Amino acid sequence: MMPSSEGDIGRDLYSIPGSSSWFRWDEIHETERRALPEFFDGSAASRNHRVYKEYRDFIINKFREDPSRRLTFTEVRKSLIGDVGTLHKVFLFLERWGLINFGVSGGRPSPPEEVGPQVEVEEPGAGVQLVPASAKLPSGRLPVAANDPGAGENGFRLPPLSSYSDVYGDWAPGKGPVCAVCGDQCASGRHERPMEGGFVVCLKCSENKNGTEEKSAGDNSVHADGNANHASDAWTDAETLLLLEAVLKHGDDWDLIAQHVRTKNRLDCIERLIQLPFGDHMLSTFSDKYGARNSGNQATNSRAIQHASGKLTQVSKTDGHVQNDIKKKVAEESTPVHPSKRRCIPSIANATDSLMRQVALLSTVAGPHVAAAAAEAAVTALCNENPCAEKVFIIVDDEARRKLKSFPTNNEPKSDVKVEDQDVEMHKQTDTPELLPERNFDATAFQIKAAIATALGAAAAHAKQLADQEQREMEHLMASIIEAQMRKIQYKIKHFKELEFIMEKEYILIQKLKESLLDKWVEVIQQTFQARIPRWKDHAFPKSLLNNGS
Amino acid sequence: MKSLPLGASKAPIKFRMPTAENLIPIRLDIEIDGQRYKDAFTWNPNDPDSEVVSFAKRTVKDLKLPPTFMTQIAQSIQTQLAEFRSYEGQDMHIKEKIVPIKIDLRVNNTVIRDQFLWDVSNFETDPEEFARTLCEDLNIEDPEVGPAIAVAIREQLYEVATQSVSSARETRVGKKGRRGIENVTNSKTGNSALDLLKLFGNKGSVIRKRKEWYLYEPIVDILSNEEVGALDAREELNARLKKKLDEKEDSFQTRYSHG
Repeated sequence: MMPSSEGDIGRDLYSIPGSSSWFRWDEIHETERRALPEFFDGSAASRNHRVYKEYRDFIINKFREDPSRRLTFTEVRKSLIGDVGTLHKVFLFLERWGLINFGVSGGRPSPPEEVGPQVEVEEPGAGVQLVPASAKLPSGRLPVAANDPGAGENGFRLPPLSSYSDVYGDWAPGKGPVCAVCGDQCASGRHERPMEGGFVVCLKCSENKNGTEEKSAGDNSVHADGNANHASDAWTDAETLLLLEAVLKHGDDWDLIAQHVRTKNRLDCIERLIQLPFGDHMLSTFSDKYGARNSGNQATNSRAIQHASGKLTQVSKTDGHVQNDIKKKVAEESTPVHPSKRRCIPSIANATDSLMRQVALLSTVAGPHVAAAAAEAAVTALCNENPCAEKVFIIVDDEARRKLKSFPTNNEPKSDVKVEDQDVEMHKQTDTPELLPERNFDATAFQIKAAIATALGAAAAHAKQLADQEQREMEHLMASIIEAQMRKIQYKIKHFKELEFIMEKEYILIQKLKESLLDKWVEVIQQTFQARIPRWKDHAFPKSLLNNGS
Repeated sequence: MKSLPLGASKAPIKFRMPTAENLIPIRLDIEIDGQRYKDAFTWNPNDPDSEVVSFAKRTVKDLKLPPTFMTQIAQSIQTQLAEFRSYEGQDMHIKEKIVPIKIDLRVNNTVIRDQFLWDVSNFETDPEEFARTLCEDLNIEDPEVGPAIAVAIREQLYEVATQSVSSARETRVGKKGRRGIENVTNSKTGNSALDLLKLFGNKGSVIRKRKEWYLYEPIVDILSNEEVGALDAREELNARLKKKLDEKEDSFQTRYSHG
């Protein structure tokens, strides 16, 4: 697979119908020979293999110069020397088989009905702009913009570094729509469907989901540079904090919540909560049909996450301690959450959740040590891959180490190795953004990568545990099956033994009978002899007695 | 699998149009009392001759022409048919020849100029289909353009076909001195045939040089009604002048040939 570098479109992806998968650039296939026999039967000097191949290759290449546009015959025939009737036949053949004008609208003869599943013929390359980090990572867990209808890109873009004030400064209900990502007023038109959480995104940033991650990180932070442009009915951090506390305490009861947040009324509270990145989750928590148990669990989760976010917010501006805090939070969460591991599962992986949340969730499931190990491995791998990353992580490294000492990282060696493998693999696939201008941006990028790697690692570890367990269960089942079979056989053997025993006994009896019979016979003969009855021929002398030697 | 050496002629066949359907082009240009009727269409020579008359009648009725046109139309068609029939019984030696076909037409408001190659030996070609494709690709809306192009193609193919008929060949050879123009055309087509070796042999390429692409590209112009009117008028003028000139020349010749 060709490595694709940043910004290099490289080899493009073309689709042709599955029924045309016989096509090869350097060959002429039987299908072609059959459809255009005049080229191959030597009937004319102007038609031969080479000529056909040149026509075909030229036409297809011409089409692929702009695959979104319909190629007309008139365009190509001016560039090819030869009878236009024959050229037209070739053109129609290629069009019919979908090698050109496939999927292009136009009122022309439709491709044959056997259009199977689309086949990607060329090597997959960077048909998509590869942007930092995780374009190639399994998108199941990552916050790829699920809501974006115009997504031409697969990867997610890191936002321009947006500080708290940019994002939250204008977050007042009264003002016009503010793009949640770039902080500008949405002059260029709003995204039609506001993303989850009620954010409004301007068209420019419409693919950007990752902004939420930044937000959750900086959400409750008490920032030194306050928000200069707060409107009168905007939410201060203190109010937000109160709101969240109230929500956790009172759940669905908006009156009580409003009471708690004295300065805001009910509707405002509801609105604000919805706007918060995980507000939705909290709301859904309380109306969860699994009942108190689950919600309790998830409330614990939320609280833990809350706690963690709280911790995260104590972070310095550059979000340098993201890694650090994952580990802390993970440790804190592990005890209360661990026993209810099974129940955690329903709460997993709403793919549009923010990154940090997902990492948190995954870490809880996988266990603290594993997650810590994963994080470590991720950081190490990143450092190995890219020396700039080291600079970033060195800041956090010391502190992290200090804190890490408190939980010994007894890595289950297997899972650790596995995690590392996963990370290494993943990193091979990701491209490190070399070109990013700002150092802070770099830092965030790396940390995000590390976070993602941690998530992956944690997930991998958990998956391995599950796999191991399944293995064990399978083995157990096998063993029990074998045991059952053995017992069956043993019963049969016993049964046969008994039968044999009975047989032997009977045999002895029969022998005895035989002897007694013999005796009686002798007796009878003696008696007849003594009674002077003339001897008679022993016709009836039983043969069996004769044969029986003893 | 027979492989023919380049330029070899196939076994001679009876004269016909070298297209999938043996339709001949008919062109009419009749002027009576200041009224002009110009038309071009394809005719199936297998139709009975009675068809000619009924066609003429129908045309006069549809176009509301004065009835005098009818005989003229019928006559013109019959003359052209007769010419075709004169070649009919003879053998045609079609060599493998790829000739350039040129289109330079004005149909109502559309002017189209084009040039492309045509294999005369390919008897499965269809000028109508080609014209249809051309109009579709160029988004020409006027439905009369396609048939006009087809007829133009047929006319040129007809020319080539007649040239390959044995009797015509002989006469051509005899008249070589007089008909200089024909020589030129002959050599032109001869050039294309020669190119076959270069292009389709092993060393050549059938991809045209990019700088020559514009030569083989169709050019379509849509004229405004005034322009059309002006062009029509000019054409008429030219035609009249030419007629006068021809008459003069004829009379001149007769005068001096008899003198």
